[in-house]
Amino acid sequence: MVKADLLNGLSEEDAGQVMKLAKRTILTSGAELFHLGDVAGSIYLIARGRLRLTLPMQVRNREEDMLVEERAPGQTVGWSALIPPYRFTLTATAPLETEVLALSREALMEHFAANPGTGYAVSMNLASVIGERLQLFQTMWVREVQRMVEARCA
Amino acid sequence: MEMLLMGACLSMFGLAVTCLAFGAATRPERSAPAMAVKPELAKAAAPARFFVQPPVQAAIPIAAHARVPLEVLLLQIENHVRLEQAAVESFLQTPTSALLHSRTISTLVN
Repeated sequence: MVKADLLNGLSEEDAGQVMKLAKRTILTSGAELFHLGDVAGSIYLIARGRLRLTLPMQVRNREEDMLVEERAPGQTVGWSALIPPYRFTLTATAPLETEVLALSREALMEHFAANPGTGYAVSMNLASVIGERLQLFQTMWVREVQRMVEARCA
Repeated sequence: MEMLLMGACLSMFGLAVTCLAFGAATRPERSAPAMAVKPELAKAAAPARFFVQPPVQAAIPIAAHARVPLEVLLLQIENHVRLEQAAVESFLQTPTSALLHSRTISTLVN
């Protein structure tokens, strides 16, 4: 079974119950898992391969998908599926053949309602994933502002 | 004898000075082309207009000036993002002011 960050702290049995809800999907190299702005109905655990998370950026008057983050096996992508307004805020693409486990929001919510302990643990893990992302980008933003200030004052 | 030696020394000194001067005059100029290109690029970024002061170009990174192929530029940006993430992860492990603003080897900002 995949050691997923979303299932940290759960017993094998509880983690197994969550994994039973998952649908396995294999993405070929270059395939898109979801696109910026799409309705987010599922959260994904990466079982094998990689996922590139990108945002569009204008480079020499051309729109290019620029890498924001790369996620590896065991990591979670697509947490927009659990947070209103349920729209993906990035595009996810597989740079190589990648296997993901899709957990639909409806199935998860139903399971959490019946198993509040599991729901609590997964919510805490999700908060941790979101918190790490926030810290990462907050710091990256401060570094860019610092560079801008240095350039302006030079 | 002393006069002869003094004359020989002066001749050698004069020859050395002449060689240095010749070498300096015939040495190819390395920094001149780079200096010549920069003002052109700056002009291209901001077309000249009457009665308008040209904008300061210092804030634009070097990589933005250089007309590198698009693929290379995209790779530079991606490399920059990866290096920034690595630097930030290092900061988050040990949060200090020095690590927060640590430099990377990214060609996009250096």
